[in-house]
Amino acid sequence: MTAPLQRAIFWILVGFAVLILSLPMVIVVGASVTSGNIIAFPPEGFSLKWYEKIAQARDLQQAFWRSIQVSLVCVAVSVPVGTLAGIALSRYRLRGAMALQVYLLLPFTVPLIASGIGMMLVFGEWRILGALWPVGVACAVINLPFIIWSVSASAASLDRDLELAAQNCGAGPIATFFHVTLPAVMPGVITGGLLMFVLAMTEFLVSLLLTDARTVTLPVQVYNNIRSIITPDLAAVSTIFVVIALAAVWLLDRLVGLEIFLKSK
Amino acid sequence: MEETALTVRVHDVSMDFGSGTKAVDSARFDLETGRFLTVLGPSGSGKTTLLHMIAGFLKPTAGEITINGQPVDALPPHRRSIGMVFQKLALFPHMTAAENVAFPLKMRRWNPKGIPARVSDFLDLVKLGDYRDRRIHELSGGQQQRVAIARALVFEPELLLLDEPLAALDRKLREEMQLEFRRIQKELGVTTINVTHDQREALVVSDEIIVMDGGKIQQKATPVALYQQPANDFVAGFVGVSTFLDGSATEGGVEIQGTRCAGTHMTDIAAGTPVRGGIRAEQIRLGRSAQAVADCDTRLTGHVSDMIFEGERLLYVLNCPALPGVDIQVYYHDPDAFDLFEIGSEVHFGWRARDLRIFRAAR
Ligand SMILES: Nc1ncnc2c1ncn2[C@@H]1O[C@H](COP(=O)(O)OP(=O)(O)OP(=O)(O)O)[C@@H](O)[C@H]1O
Ligand SMILES: [Mg+2]
Repeated sequence: MTAPLQRAIFWILVGFAVLILSLPMVIVVGASVTSGNIIAFPPEGFSLKWYEKIAQARDLQQAFWRSIQVSLVCVAVSVPVGTLAGIALSRYRLRGAMALQVYLLLPFTVPLIASGIGMMLVFGEWRILGALWPVGVACAVINLPFIIWSVSASAASLDRDLELAAQNCGAGPIATFFHVTLPAVMPGVITGGLLMFVLAMTEFLVSLLLTDARTVTLPVQVYNNIRSIITPDLAAVSTIFVVIALAAVWLLDRLVGLEIFLKSK
Repeated sequence: MEETALTVRVHDVSMDFGSGTKAVDSARFDLETGRFLTVLGPSGSGKTTLLHMIAGFLKPTAGEITINGQPVDALPPHRRSIGMVFQKLALFPHMTAAENVAFPLKMRRWNPKGIPARVSDFLDLVKLGDYRDRRIHELSGGQQQRVAIARALVFEPELLLLDEPLAALDRKLREEMQLEFRRIQKELGVTTINVTHDQREALVVSDEIIVMDGGKIQQKATPVALYQQPANDFVAGFVGVSTFLDGSATEGGVEIQGTRCAGTHMTDIAAGTPVRGGIRAEQIRLGRSAQAVADCDTRLTGHVSDMIFEGERLLYVLNCPALPGVDIQVYYHDPDAFDLFEIGSEVHFGWRARDLRIFRAAR
């Protein structure tokens, strides 16, 4: 095959992939700015009235703040645990490393419904089902492998000599951790933390199982609304989710630099 | 004579990683206060392992290290008063030059009021006063080198360890930094152990040199003594450029495939034992006629098979029918006669008996 032809095929494939991936997003954003009363794409005219509507809808607003709380709890739990686990994973030849590798694949293999029901039973047993924070803890538990990955990728590229140098400078084990190890894996911690925030913000199935009418989170609220009537305000809410995800990526770029993020994967 | 205190004593120290041979095998030496010792050896000879044991990163599997008479085996690295410059420097990338230099002072709980002044003094010492607020990646290789030196010295360590910190630099900068090391070391009088596999660096900067191979110390001597009296054929081959002649011992020399060469036995060797003779490239005399080598104890003829121009001197490679299979390396220093011999031309060469050193063959 000639080089130009190869290149053309490559770019066609790339373009196709980007189109497929972004199509739902484009449709949902388009549908949210319709001036009509039914959800449709392409939109009929342009208006921001559905954004006005969701800004005034108390149930959506409350659900939004609950989701923020859930995400914060999730980050607060997963960042320390995931950071230590990620460093340990890259550093020591842990006993049972195999078991750990399997654990890290869990998010892809175990259906969420299974872990969700498991957690529902446990939390029911502990009588903490009506509260909001267990949802955050649950999100932390099921998504923990993501932050462990992100941190251990950072830690793997850490020069071991840096820690020896810190000791040589008179830093004990704890000072070495805080002054040298932690700053070195910070890109991984920030990446993982943002990922955990977004994942908890958008987590649906587990929230559905663990919340009740007083504690619905935003994705669950959206789902409840769909079941009554589908109006363009739901597209507006979905657009908010997209904006949150984009904000996370922007923040990542500012704090860490996207090259590092892409390299660490 | 001035009394010198003993700083470091390495007493039959071994390190066995469990991979068959020991990385360091029964190393034993003393180092006096204020001296500059270089550990010289090829890659994998155990130099870094030795340094890491002294710094406390590794525990010797046998033997004992004492500093100022105190055994240090029980002391973790951060409680030892040892500054180290790492092979890849290991500067903290998230700190500025000044913060790197201040780090050991903070960790060692110096009075915070005195720290900025001291950091400035040491940055000035390594001529980096104007670069104090630069991040590490904003500094050149040589400047990073200097930050690492300042960081290792700023807290007045009893001992400074240098693990080939110059290996990555280009030759000119390396030679500049070698002299810089020497200047700072003399100025502060700090006892230093330097590791390198560059024999030139070892000869230039050291008070004493230890040559290591295969985890074992081959020789400890001053640079001059090491060069002039190598203890075995490994040292003779590693320091300087030598030609080796393998044969069997004779009275006052060595016999190689029927050719008798005059040499000096370095130990008591019975005639007939397999031996290896070594002669340095600058100790072989070279001339167009037999007259030029008239005062040599061994006189041979051969022809030039190669010549390598090294700037201040020329290295001739000779082949000689009487010594089949041996490439004889000869330095020629006369700058006016660099075109004296052409490749293929016949030459007379020879040496004095005292310059061919004969060692027992298998070590
Ligand atoms: N942690 C380790 N585990 C097992 N073997 C090791 C370890 N560290 C070093 N070795 C082995 O010990 C020997 C000496 O290694 P060392 O790093 O001390 O060599 P070196 O003289 O510093 O070499 P170089 O000049 O290449 O830095 C080598 O054969 C090496 O493979
Ligand atoms: Mg080394």
